[in-house]
Amino acid sequence: MKLFIRYLNLMVVTIFILIVLSFFLPFLFPGDLLTNISGIVAQSADQRTALEQVYKLDQSIFHQFIFYIESLLNSNWGVSTNDQSNLYQEVSLAFPATLELVGYALLVSIIIGIPIGFISGLKNHNPFDFSVVTFSMVGYSFPVFWLALIFITIFCLQLEWLPISGRIDLLFDVPVETGFILLDIARSDIPNKPDAYLDALHHLILPTASVAIVTTALFIRFTRRSIMDVMDKGYIIAAKSRGFTQRQIFFKHGLKNALLPILPILALQISTLITNVMIIETIFSWPGIGRWLIQAIYQQDYPAIRIGMLIVSLFVMAMTITIEFITRAMNPARERAESAAV
Amino acid sequence: MFHAPLVFARWLCLSLISLTLFACAKPSLDSINAMTFCSESNPGSFNPQLDTSSTTADASAHQIYDRLLEFNPSNGLIEPGLASSWLVSEDGLTYTFQLRRGVQFHTTPYFTPTRTFNADDVIFSIDRWRNSFHPYHDVGGGNYPYFDSLNLSERIKSVERINGYRVEITLYIPDSSFLANLATDFSVILSEEYAITLMADGRPADLDRFPIGTGPYKFREFRQNQHIRFERHADYFLPTTGPQQLVFDITAKGSLRMAKLITGECDAVAFASQSDLAVIEEREDLTLLEKPGLNVGFWAFNTSKPPFDNPNVRRALALAIDKTSLLDAVYLGQATRAKSLVPSASWAYQANAKELGYNPVRARELLDQEGVPFNFTMNVWAMPVQRAYNPNAMKMAQLIKSYLADVGINVNIVSYDWNIFRENLRMGLHDSVLIGWNADNGDPDNFYRPLLTCDAIPSGTNRAMWCNPQYDALVEQALLIDDFDARTLIYHQANTLLFEEMPLVPIAHAFQYQALRSEIKNMQINPFGGIRFDSVERQAQ
Amino acid sequence: MQRFNLYQEEYHPSPLVNIWIEFRRSHIALAGFVLLVLFVVITILAPIIAPFDPYLQNTNAILLPPAWEPNGSAIHLLGTDGLGRDVFSRLLYACRITFGSSLVIVAVSVLIGVGLGALAGVLSGVRSSVINHLLDSIMSIPTLLIAIIIVAILGTGLTNAMLAITLALIPQFVHQTRTFVRNELQKDYVLLDRLDGASSPRIFIYSILPGMVELIVVQATIALSVAIIDISALGFLNLAAQDPLIELGLTLSQGLEVAYVAPWLIILPGLCIFLMILSVNIVGEGLRSALRNRLHH
Repeated sequence: MKLFIRYLNLMVVTIFILIVLSFFLPFLFPGDLLTNISGIVAQSADQRTALEQVYKLDQSIFHQFIFYIESLLNSNWGVSTNDQSNLYQEVSLAFPATLELVGYALLVSIIIGIPIGFISGLKNHNPFDFSVVTFSMVGYSFPVFWLALIFITIFCLQLEWLPISGRIDLLFDVPVETGFILLDIARSDIPNKPDAYLDALHHLILPTASVAIVTTALFIRFTRRSIMDVMDKGYIIAAKSRGFTQRQIFFKHGLKNALLPILPILALQISTLITNVMIIETIFSWPGIGRWLIQAIYQQDYPAIRIGMLIVSLFVMAMTITIEFITRAMNPARERAESAAV
Repeated sequence: MFHAPLVFARWLCLSLISLTLFACAKPSLDSINAMTFCSESNPGSFNPQLDTSSTTADASAHQIYDRLLEFNPSNGLIEPGLASSWLVSEDGLTYTFQLRRGVQFHTTPYFTPTRTFNADDVIFSIDRWRNSFHPYHDVGGGNYPYFDSLNLSERIKSVERINGYRVEITLYIPDSSFLANLATDFSVILSEEYAITLMADGRPADLDRFPIGTGPYKFREFRQNQHIRFERHADYFLPTTGPQQLVFDITAKGSLRMAKLITGECDAVAFASQSDLAVIEEREDLTLLEKPGLNVGFWAFNTSKPPFDNPNVRRALALAIDKTSLLDAVYLGQATRAKSLVPSASWAYQANAKELGYNPVRARELLDQEGVPFNFTMNVWAMPVQRAYNPNAMKMAQLIKSYLADVGINVNIVSYDWNIFRENLRMGLHDSVLIGWNADNGDPDNFYRPLLTCDAIPSGTNRAMWCNPQYDALVEQALLIDDFDARTLIYHQANTLLFEEMPLVPIAHAFQYQALRSEIKNMQINPFGGIRFDSVERQAQ
Repeated sequence: MQRFNLYQEEYHPSPLVNIWIEFRRSHIALAGFVLLVLFVVITILAPIIAPFDPYLQNTNAILLPPAWEPNGSAIHLLGTDGLGRDVFSRLLYACRITFGSSLVIVAVSVLIGVGLGALAGVLSGVRSSVINHLLDSIMSIPTLLIAIIIVAILGTGLTNAMLAITLALIPQFVHQTRTFVRNELQKDYVLLDRLDGASSPRIFIYSILPGMVELIVVQATIALSVAIIDISALGFLNLAAQDPLIELGLTLSQGLEVAYVAPWLIILPGLCIFLMILSVNIVGEGLRSALRNRLHH
């Protein structure tokens, strides 16, 4: 409980820091402050004064901040400088798409990466282990954008198996409800659902694979390292000498003790994962928040950058802190220990 | 002991095989009567009155709207549109249009029309840009670049309603290109009823964002940087065979559009890259249409900035570049060398127009003479989008950079997002820019006037910011005459003046291409602007 | 490093030599090391090795394929790009910028990170916990996001991108240094120094830092591979190096324009980035296992 409060406290402090940072961003961006905040280019002096009153620019910085927090909570996130679209709507459309990609990639990496890591850690220095280590070394040395381009060249242009862009062929007119494409197809009443599912899954393969290969390689390394460390520990050797089989030892002692140290490392990898997902989104025209943010930068859409940055960093932060909390809660002994992994 | 590796390997193989099988099972789209066009950029709005960018015209001019008059895309003749017939008075000052009856506006979730098209819609659509006191004039910024550049609002005396289906337009002076201008992409007819409703609701700006027109397609959805959806207008007044659904997939990168054409994600693409044309022609499943384009790609100097206000400096810069190699490297030979503004397809073309050759030594001499120092730095703006008249401005800028380096001038290449690019150009922040012009109608006035007259500076189509009364007088004079030969002579005089003043260096008249999947039939290149889909058909495989 | 030998017959190699001996045992690590040295050489000597001026355009030789292809030419070993520039020379210069800027990024982050970390380690209590929280916050903001914000404020450019990546890399060095310093401060040899009257900065520089070097080097190799990935990714997204500069990621994204007719223009720069990262990772891994083995003995 005490731990929970500590982490809650940490979460609140971090969120506050991020909000403060994002509050000050428009002051740093080039150009007109009013436009940077509101997304509207004032056409006349009257409109300007009116807008300044709305955003409390005529009052103290403190009032402006309060107004900022209020509008964040009221989902009144302003409009894009570019096409005056509602930012709250844009983000709520784009963010689930990113979550989807992150989720699938993470799932694939965990399902494939962790078992392989375990096996090769247990059986280290045999041919299987050697090929796994080689794969993971190669895998996490891939620049993700190059990997994606190579996939496109092979699977889309040469073999013509898979599509390149988006989450589903635009001709399937799936109305957006949840923002998660598979759910949306299920809830829609379009005539050719099976085709739509198949098409959506086709679109998923390459982006997921591009992100997942790099992440899987990392997971394999961490898991393998961790299991090797654990299997060298005194209590394992003691158990061995007492005549337990390797299987018994592994499931009784090895598994949990090897998994626990991996979790915080995974938490650190989330930011890498998000970076990769953002790059992959731009390559595969995946309509997620990363592509949206990068377009916003090209189009100098400052209100969008501010909100997008806040949302993504809040998400990453929340994930990181939650994972850390879970790790600590599961293993109170680690509380004082600091991770200094070589 | 453990046999996990083996089990795992088997599992992996199995899943790989099933994945492959699954990947081969192509989802079928046959049941959907739809088509995807991959466009290159976001439209600025859904009203071509507000914008001369062909992206905006593509997305709206022939999808959502109709005009009083239309060009026949194959021969350029003016044909009836929403006006079923028209009459020009003897003195060439009064035009009377008889309008079609029973033309339905779009019914959409955001607007349900209660009446059909009539004279009020025509008057509203013209008055919006013509009359600066019109309540809608300033909605959307108050800039109507095409009309402003022609100074058309000053030429029209009145637009009057004779009865519900008859409109009379009176001019101050005769204008031999007036009818042609009414047939351009920009002269669209909006719904007056919708405008009034929006004004009453206090959101007039929606007129250009959620458009209502009479055209073959209704607007459904626009997502910035992603897609635009259209749906067929069931009550369109002409028979159409176009697909039920039309999607514009906004794909900025030319290489990605090409890739998506190959995978079949695009049925047709905007501006196929020059280097891919040969590949498209070779492949069975792709088709390439081509037509000599009515366009010109040029390098314009910002004559409002020193030292580019000096004709000799401009001439020196023109001498420093080798157009032949630009044509080879950028257009890969798919263009003809431009000597003046109009291409050979136009009747005003001057085959013997004077032109500066490549002479870097002379260029340096001129620069020295005019006091432009060695290592002088200037910027060249290269537009970020592909156009027929310049398929790769960035590449051209790099070539120009190396030519100018030879005469001791440093070049910074500048590029922005397309909409920002044009806004900054309009404000004149550039030293020089690589851009061009695509004809909106067959009249040479459509080149000479919007590109270089004084009136075209504030409207943002005069990229050289060049204002020369003598030139304006020539262009003006040419419009008063109806005789082609006499007009041609005047345009030749203008060419000579441009050769001496060199506000811009004409570079190329390029072929126009349209790449599409072979199962798409009846697609035509529209030499006068926006793309059209009303007669396109998808052949079942 | 010469050390006093009490027992003449026994050979005690210095820790660094020891690591080198361990490192040399792995052929793969050695191969990686050779590759890395090659990149270092390219970084230093690119202008001398390159057969052509990387900016030299030749409109008569546009999009030539590499020499081994049927239409290739032996003059342009790896072909030419859309402006007829020699791809081999451009790649050498691109490697130079990418690798060089990554090295600078890592060097700066190490200096700042270790300095801040030492400070945080020597100080303790509330201030330290504040630093810790702040670090955790910054560390979990994805690099790309930091880069986007910096680019939004300062504009695109290689220097700005380098700044962003440096900011993203510093926290891990602070974190490690701080942890290390705090652990060491509790040990007896530090207490001994302190009893001798040594000041905190002196203890850090003369007693703790030498023991930390290996740790930092290993961490720096990880940081180097991250820096290379990030700088080229940002270059690829057009947020880092801008046109006149030749950078691998940027070259790759320029090659995309003609990807279909000239696939080598995306394969080759990507391969360079990949090999660069791979060599750094292999060397890093080799160092780590060498270090681990040495500690084991």
